[in-house]
Amino acid sequence: MTMTKSSMKELEKVRGYIYSCRKCGVCRYKMTGRVPYVCPVKKASPGFENFSSRGKMLLAQALLEGQIQPSAGLARAAYSCTLCGNCMTQCGATDPDTRKPLVDNTAVVEAMRADLLRECPDLIDEAYRRVLAHTRQYGNPWGMPRSARGKWSKGLTIKDAQKEHADVLLFVGCTMGLNPELARRAHRAAAVLQAAGVDFAMLGAAEPCCGSVQKRIGDTELASEMISGNIKLLNNTGCETIVTLCAGCCNMLKAQYTGLTAKVYHLVEYLARLIKDKKIVLAKNRGLTVAYHDPCHLGRHLGVFDPPRAILKALPGITLVERAATRENTICCGAGGGMRLFEGGAFAQDMGREAVQAAHEAGAEAIVSACPFCETNLEAAAQGLEAPLPVYDIIDLVYDGAGLTG
Amino acid sequence: MTESLSGDFKKALEEIVGCNYVTDDPVTRFTYTQDASLFGGTQSALVVRPGSTEEVSRIAALANRHRVPLVMRGGGATIYGQCKGDPDRTVLLDMTRMDRIIEVNTAGMTVTAEAGIIIDKLVYACKKEGCYVYAPFAPVHMVSLGGWMSGAAGSASLWPDIVSITVVLADGTIVKTGGGPGTNVHQPIFYNRNLGGPDFAGLFIGDGGSFGIKTEATVRITKYPPLIRAGIFAFDEIEPALELVRLHVERRTLQRFDPMMVFAAGAMKNFMGDDDEVAPFTVQAMIQGHDVAELEAKLAFLNRLAEQCGGGHNFLLDAMAESMATPSEDSEMDWMAIFNSFGLPAWLPFTLPRQGFAGVYKKLLAWRDERLKEADRLGLHLRTTWDMFIPTDASTLIGEIDCFFTDVDNPEAIVFIRSLMADFQKYAHSLGSIDVYNQGFMADLNASCWSPGFKRLFELVKASLDPNGILNPGQWVGSYLNEQGE
Repeated sequence: MTMTKSSMKELEKVRGYIYSCRKCGVCRYKMTGRVPYVCPVKKASPGFENFSSRGKMLLAQALLEGQIQPSAGLARAAYSCTLCGNCMTQCGATDPDTRKPLVDNTAVVEAMRADLLRECPDLIDEAYRRVLAHTRQYGNPWGMPRSARGKWSKGLTIKDAQKEHADVLLFVGCTMGLNPELARRAHRAAAVLQAAGVDFAMLGAAEPCCGSVQKRIGDTELASEMISGNIKLLNNTGCETIVTLCAGCCNMLKAQYTGLTAKVYHLVEYLARLIKDKKIVLAKNRGLTVAYHDPCHLGRHLGVFDPPRAILKALPGITLVERAATRENTICCGAGGGMRLFEGGAFAQDMGREAVQAAHEAGAEAIVSACPFCETNLEAAAQGLEAPLPVYDIIDLVYDGAGLTG
Repeated sequence: MTESLSGDFKKALEEIVGCNYVTDDPVTRFTYTQDASLFGGTQSALVVRPGSTEEVSRIAALANRHRVPLVMRGGGATIYGQCKGDPDRTVLLDMTRMDRIIEVNTAGMTVTAEAGIIIDKLVYACKKEGCYVYAPFAPVHMVSLGGWMSGAAGSASLWPDIVSITVVLADGTIVKTGGGPGTNVHQPIFYNRNLGGPDFAGLFIGDGGSFGIKTEATVRITKYPPLIRAGIFAFDEIEPALELVRLHVERRTLQRFDPMMVFAAGAMKNFMGDDDEVAPFTVQAMIQGHDVAELEAKLAFLNRLAEQCGGGHNFLLDAMAESMATPSEDSEMDWMAIFNSFGLPAWLPFTLPRQGFAGVYKKLLAWRDERLKEADRLGLHLRTTWDMFIPTDASTLIGEIDCFFTDVDNPEAIVFIRSLMADFQKYAHSLGSIDVYNQGFMADLNASCWSPGFKRLFELVKASLDPNGILNPGQWVGSYLNEQGE
């Protein structure tokens, strides 16, 4: 199987990043008090170079230069990445004049995936291709019927964004909205917004998939189609604000939806403001020590670190402890970049266990996050531990703290 | 790959280290063909990640029986290349799986760790015990202890602090050097490497991995000073800046952690605001003490010396010094290492006696400027961003002249930079510089300058310890120089 220069469209776009990487290996080894390790995949794997960011950058360069050709091994290297971006955070390669980072490793990995998937789809694991097929058939990556969307809102009266104007559009996302285990959190989020008097609407069965999963696993064309259609749909609602429940959706809408008229916030950003403005009263005291897990999409990629902490600190009886690696140094839970689909999810489980264990070591009785992907993986990983920690979405605690029930 | 390596030999390796840690996957092997340098990594038929000294011993014995070459790799941070290896025959040992701290002994003031540990981790383990290893001027985030000891990563400053090294010889024999249990059966701890017999630890330091495979080491540690202060002084000329260094190190007992660094403007601007005025030369000193009085006395002494040399300081430099002396929890005492993490990939260090350093430094700068003008003429957009040099001890200085380059996907630029680095080292050698890098091109260059007696001794030791020549073959014998047609 060969790839020509003209078939490496995406890699050509990130050529500058590839050649700015000095291949020094900081992304493989750095360790400080706040950085116990850089790459969770390298830690969960046998640890050869191809599992590290430096190795992937070398492979991307070699592919561009024709030194190597597509193979199952190359696909394995490209897909063994959470796209968490910690390697970029720890990388010392900055422009000497502007002092901005010179390398975007996640963009390179995404580009390598995209070119491989487009040119050599047979090399790509069936699990990823199934997600893409589901998206085309059902409009979501999980193969759930379109009619299942919006069921989370059962029992609540919420405006239909396509029929009535509202200030805010609640964008629930496929994972939170379609997974019956997680849907209660969407319900709780809506209940909290209602209690705070927010004028909001939802799209219900018409809510689209944001395209994040598809972009991350390499189908840039499908993602682009979805984005352009979604921008029209979202702009047509006339909402001035979009609030997402999923960190991945939030990152996608904020970073990729050029031309979107509404301002996008993650729920934690929106709730923090409501709490500050005393629109939500948190009175119920719940004695619990928690560690907050920064979702990579929300924290490292969007810089949203303080709002969730402000919420947790406002909750009576909640004590927030920090793991050694926190905020921009947070080690990915293992669910990013499609890693739950990678080789049966074993790596993702290992990474999740490390994250939960770190919370346990920090003295937490529970782990809290703001992303359904993180929470799903952390919950699954926590099951296997001797002292499993409960995993909450921050909305669970706010809902409880606000005295809401049901 | 030869059939024997892909079949029985691979299987034998898998029995030693486990299936997960042996690979002949071409993609994985490819990722080891480069490192942090522009000179290249290692071609190999198999890559193995051993997990213990015992596993390394069994691998060496197996390889020795079959005359299979072994190339060791730590952090892959060398900037002058590695053993080239043979894609059909070489087994590459990625040592970084062996990264455990074995003991931080605060009573004996030593730390023992596996050789694949990255220095960062070693430093952090000691820091948690209130101690530090003297982790000097090399990129600590990516250099392994083994690579550092071998000389692959440059900067020899740690070497005197190595108390003991556990080495696997080519035939699989495990040797513990140092005046401890490795030397004397009645001695339970390592405490001084040259007691009870010859300093065999020294034999393996700086050997480029040619005499044995380092698997563990015991390194001296030091308690953090209770108090730290810093001073920064600006100079218009290099000579008085160096005079301050001379006066400082000659008139006082030089404590190892009272380091001074001299920055040229290009280096200094990296640490200052865009609009700040940068002096042509800046001397920075970190001062440690047990109490405020000692610290103030030392700083006052330094201030007097600086004044005597014509050095000035201002509010900005004082604020910077204050900040250096009160680092955050995360960066505590690591600032020099952080400085040195920047220099890749074109990093041109040289080590010279202090006497005459300024003159040589100026010659080297002039040489570099000429080459950069040549690059301009060729249309190669190389960019010198900073230059610096670092006093290390009372007798030598290590200088660095750094060049970053922007159009690195231009093959012509890469060839030019590689030749610039090589030519620079040759020129520096001709001026009396000896670099500490003992890997790749630099090993070749250093070996090309050996005296006949030294060369004979090396050959005898190598032939004795590794008669089949399986360890890092090609090292020291001119393969990189030959590539340049010399």
